[in-house]
Amino acid sequence: MEQIIDDSTIEACQRGDSDAFRLLFEAYKDRVYSIALCFFDGNEATAKDVTQDVFVKLFISISQFQNRSEFSTWLYRLVTNTCLDRRRASRRLLSFGNSREIEIPDQRRSVEEKYIQRELEASVRKVIAGMKPRLRITVLLKYFEDLSYEEIAVVLGCSKGTVASRLNRAHQILARKLSHHV
Amino acid sequence: MFRKHITRHLSAYHHGELSGDEKLRVEAHLRECAHCRRGYDEVRLGAQLASTLSLSEAPESTWNDLLKLRSASSGPSRPSRRQWIPQAVFAGLAAAAVIVIVGIFSWNSFWRSPSWEVTGLPGTPRLRAGQVLETDSSSTAQVKVANIGQITLDPNTRIRLLVTRSDEHRIALDHGRLEAATWAPPRLFIVETPSAAAVDLGCKYTLEVEDDGSSLLHVILGLVALERGGRETIVPAGAFCRTLAAPGTPFFEDSSERFQSALRDLDSGVVGPERTRQLEIILQEARVRDALSLWHLLPRLDPESRGLIYDRLAQLLPPPSGVTRDGIIALDRAMLDSWKKVVSQLWQ
Repeated sequence: MEQIIDDSTIEACQRGDSDAFRLLFEAYKDRVYSIALCFFDGNEATAKDVTQDVFVKLFISISQFQNRSEFSTWLYRLVTNTCLDRRRASRRLLSFGNSREIEIPDQRRSVEEKYIQRELEASVRKVIAGMKPRLRITVLLKYFEDLSYEEIAVVLGCSKGTVASRLNRAHQILARKLSHHV
Repeated sequence: MFRKHITRHLSAYHHGELSGDEKLRVEAHLRECAHCRRGYDEVRLGAQLASTLSLSEAPESTWNDLLKLRSASSGPSRPSRRQWIPQAVFAGLAAAAVIVIVGIFSWNSFWRSPSWEVTGLPGTPRLRAGQVLETDSSSTAQVKVANIGQITLDPNTRIRLLVTRSDEHRIALDHGRLEAATWAPPRLFIVETPSAAAVDLGCKYTLEVEDDGSSLLHVILGLVALERGGRETIVPAGAFCRTLAAPGTPFFEDSSERFQSALRDLDSGVVGPERTRQLEIILQEARVRDALSLWHLLPRLDPESRGLIYDRLAQLLPPPSGVTRDGIIALDRAMLDSWKKVVSQLWQ
């Protein structure tokens, strides 16, 4: 797992150093946002909301982080749980007939017109967004964060075999749904 | 070469996750097996497609909005998250600078004195160590768990705050029902009940304690460990666990009623022929997913029953090589650990 932030920065955050907070935020914000954006099928408002949730939780509880696990492992576990929790809440809203409150904007049109590569990426995102949540988050941790199977297993609290099996399934789904694109 | 198809190894092979020996065996198999070569082409294509994903930049406003959220959340009342977010956009840089200062001050003061703010119960603004919080038949309460989460108390519920410090937050649930959601590192938040301690491993769950001291745990997200007297039960999302004198046996919510009923009887300590009958029902009704329950029963029953559980569990999830019936009956630690790696995939 790439070590973006060193221990001294985390210790500075624990002491309340505002510069360290900003450094930590800048180091991880795009990664957290990207995972949330893809997880919620391109919904920018939800992705931003999830990003804020993650960093609020992170900042108010970082004083209790005691290096019992890797910092990034803890962060990605926070991202995973926040995404799954938010999705659960959205499903509850949908089940009560409030589907109009959930808006998933189609923001890809302009991108599609510009670049073929972007079109392909948008299709990939769409297929990933349709996968089961546990499959989805495994793919995102692999391809956005380039985590090893062992690292993903630690973040998700599962075995390496489970990670391998989920990625196998995800690769199959992508290949079968998008083979006409390549 | 692997004799069986190797499709389950293909992504790991593609990502360079296999050991040297495994890699050679996969390559040897691929040379011989057209079926797996087609599978590998598919995995490579899927991986190539997934590799097109690129990072998106978080909106510029995220940091300032974050400061506003943090600042707002440190105020005296916080009825709902939506109300934390001011709708108006800040007019200028000077205002933003003030907010930055306020926000940073709030963070500092927040963790110097982690508080247990209470909402919903007039006259009880916060909970301190040693204090009791109790709802009556018509009230509920929300309690901020220091700075790591939140619990909601149902009517007729009583909790006591036992310990709150940076490395441990512990409450007692004497009776009633609560829902807890935390975002702390694992094992920081613990709920004591008369029959077991619920140790949070990063999750969301409900916990209910009856008047007789028994409890029912339902995990919604993540994992919870129930511990008491050296016995540990792991309860994953989607599972329940009843606890009487000690942590009981977990079961998935979609297991059959007969399975759950027999498990309840077994946990309550029935003996003799009745115990044998209930175990037979459990073994008959068990699906692959119910390996969660069978696994937990193994060390809790006598050697003869253990042998029967081994036989059923081995049908559902064959043990890895090197794990023997005799070893499991003797509770060989290495064999149990080896099989657990297979079994635990079901609930992860």
